Amino acid sequence: MKNIKIYSLVSLLLILFSCEKDLPIYFEFQGYEFASTDPNGGSWTPILISEGSDISIPAPEEVTSDTYVQELEDLKFAMAHSAEEDDKAVAYWTQNPIIRWNEIALELIAKYNIIPGPNPDGTYPSPDPASPIGPPAFPFAHPPYAVRALAYLSVAQFDGLISAWHYKYQYNRAAPFIQDESIRPIYRDNITPSYPSDGAVIARASREILTAMFPLEANYLAEQEAEHLRCLILSGVNVQSDVDAGVMIGDAIAEVALTRAANDGMKNAQAPKSVSDSLAAAALDRFGWQWINQEIPQRPVGLTPLYGKVKMWSIENVEDTRPIAPPAIGSSEYEADVRTLKEYEKNVTNETRRIANFWQDGLGTYTPPGHWNEIAIRYITRDRMNPLRSARTFAYLNIAMMDGGISCWDAKYYYHYPRPIQTIEGFTTIAGTPNFPAYTSGHSVFSAAGAEVLSYIFPADASTFRGWAEEAAISRVYGGIHWTFDATVGTAQGIDVASYTIAIAQNDGAD
Amino acid sequence: MTKRNIYLSAVTAIFIFFIDHHLSAQTPSDAIMMKAKQACVLLDYNFSSFDHYWEGEFKRDNQTIGTVRRHSWMPMMAIGIFNDLNLFVGLPHISTSSSNPNGGKFAGVSGFQDLTLALKYRWLDKGLGKGRVSSFATVGFSTPISNYLSDYMPYSLGFGAPELSYRAIVQYEANKGLYVRAAGTYVWKGYTEAEREYYYNNGSYFTAWMDVPSAITAELVLGQWLLDRALQVEISYWSQTSLSGDDIRAYNAPQPTNQVNMHRVGLFAHYFFQPVPGLGIVAYHNRVIHGRNAPEFNTIGAGVTYFFNYRK
Repeated sequence: MKNIKIYSLVSLLLILFSCEKDLPIYFEFQGYEFASTDPNGGSWTPILISEGSDISIPAPEEVTSDTYVQELEDLKFAMAHSAEEDDKAVAYWTQNPIIRWNEIALELIAKYNIIPGPNPDGTYPSPDPASPIGPPAFPFAHPPYAVRALAYLSVAQFDGLISAWHYKYQYNRAAPFIQDESIRPIYRDNITPSYPSDGAVIARASREILTAMFPLEANYLAEQEAEHLRCLILSGVNVQSDVDAGVMIGDAIAEVALTRAANDGMKNAQAPKSVSDSLAAAALDRFGWQWINQEIPQRPVGLTPLYGKVKMWSIENVEDTRPIAPPAIGSSEYEADVRTLKEYEKNVTNETRRIANFWQDGLGTYTPPGHWNEIAIRYITRDRMNPLRSARTFAYLNIAMMDGGISCWDAKYYYHYPRPIQTIEGFTTIAGTPNFPAYTSGHSVFSAAGAEVLSYIFPADASTFRGWAEEAAISRVYGGIHWTFDATVGTAQGIDVASYTIAIAQNDGAD
Repeated sequence: MTKRNIYLSAVTAIFIFFIDHHLSAQTPSDAIMMKAKQACVLLDYNFSSFDHYWEGEFKRDNQTIGTVRRHSWMPMMAIGIFNDLNLFVGLPHISTSSSNPNGGKFAGVSGFQDLTLALKYRWLDKGLGKGRVSSFATVGFSTPISNYLSDYMPYSLGFGAPELSYRAIVQYEANKGLYVRAAGTYVWKGYTEAEREYYYNNGSYFTAWMDVPSAITAELVLGQWLLDRALQVEISYWSQTSLSGDDIRAYNAPQPTNQVNMHRVGLFAHYFFQPVPGLGIVAYHNRVIHGRNAPEFNTIGAGVTYFFNYRK
């Protein structure tokens, strides 16, 4: 009898201890041979500069020169003495490091997407770029901040790679593993012109942009860059002069991008209370309503009231994309939506809860634009895109979503429409109500804009992307924090905004 | 042991089981065994609330959630399989909400939490000096029984993960009914599935699965039998230390990956009604006095117990 007890105990333990999981902390994919090499990529139209040759680098040394021969020897020595940790790093970065730097950006967004809490006296502190350590730390990486960081990152990568492609196919210096057959490259890199290194362009441009966006991460980003640059040589695809030339391009394009960023109006987006109050007063005067923050203690200023004035990427005048006015409070259309929301509140189903949570991407996460970047990663790697094509995908994705955010914020603070918890007595939600007006829904605009760009790049999957964008839009209604028309009009707004970026993409020479 | 004393013991056993489970999903921690063929059922209600919590080690309030309230009903059963082996089964029903006004307007939730099964085995029971020393080993298992969302803190019903606990208990009872008891537990906690495919836990996680930190707990109890063993009173200290996990981030919601540590003190009494054989009541209060990523829970509870022979 005693034995039976012991056996059953032991078997229970064994069953439960066999369940330890390996949880993924980055997208796991094997390095792949690129589906295309795009030899004409150097002639594509960049976004920030007028053409790839705007940035100059010195002509490479001849492959017969002593300098180059020595570089090959150094590479072989480094590869021969590579430690196990180096091999892991080489496998991690892959020959499409656009993916990794995008993931690093997502991680930093999630790390800094923390809303400042109130002081003991009921006031709220603000992150200060002049003193980033805080508390609260700078930045608060909310969705408008996040999509802007992603846009500058991706645009700098894209323009830098167009420049790199220009010189790769101008100088045509073949990769070390072609110069010397004893070198066995670890990456299946079929873009053989190796001067300048595309990986080094990505490493330096990404590090510079992200350091400007997340100043407290300067050391972490420098470490990431150093490891990445080392892996370019350890993988056998670049010699030191390839890397150095790539770094030059990365520096140059990051400077151009950061100059634009410094002057795009973002630094004024978090307006003072006087400006914020005047926007609310204008809406009350014009429409008879105004959004009021419901938190305790009340936040005096909504999130980035002047984000709608930030310089757009593909659109001259934000008001060209401003949607029609929402239903008046108390109108029959409004009252019908109140009933709809109360129905959802009363009948939370497994499916509405799942959708509300799946697309919530709230505080502490990589935000909705981050979610669409993660989606893009899956399709870019599925289609074995090269770094130039990958950067192009992210660049148009993120500038369209940033334009969408700017257009959405213009509508939010122009119409200044209340959230459901403000006007429906006793209403409760299953998602957190954000600190800005309702109309239109940011999730809806970001997601529709992102889905349109991805549908342009991956046309066979368009219906999937558009279905997800509609689900992301309605998720906010299920969550109880948006009106139905916030979602539907926001989706149409995102589609409209993205069309401007897609028109540019269709004429950049890549199609 | 008289029949009545056996009944009282059963009540204690079942009580200790549920009270721990409510707050930390533990297993029977007392030093009482029911004999074969005996069973005890209990219906417990308790109310917990907190308006402060520890964000890492920083104690704060948060008007977004106001005072969080937690009502819990729990039917339980303890069954004597053999004289030295008892089985416990319990299933709490919990509902949560915030006080009004609050700044977040979040909906509370309600539903059944985790089905818990536990076995307790007595391996030592002998006289020592004028008193008696006994020692026990328990193993418990619990698993979510409904599809409640663990990633909806602080309103979620539980951690949403299977748990397996191993506990050792030793008690010494002096001949005047005074006793001390010490228990230590290792609780393996599994993974809970969120409804999102990304979360941050000192770095990115590209998955819906969250690792709920395993924990060790320690308990010390001082008790006394009174009124000819019709009344039992106890004071207790209990602590939990998670073996991994991250801190709640500033002004952010907790999540199941957090390292949850707490120290708790409690009072407990139960009373046996002589006119109705097998019927009794329990009442208790406990309070978290210090913690890390833990609510400052203040709990009161009461229950009705009934003891019987389930077969001849």
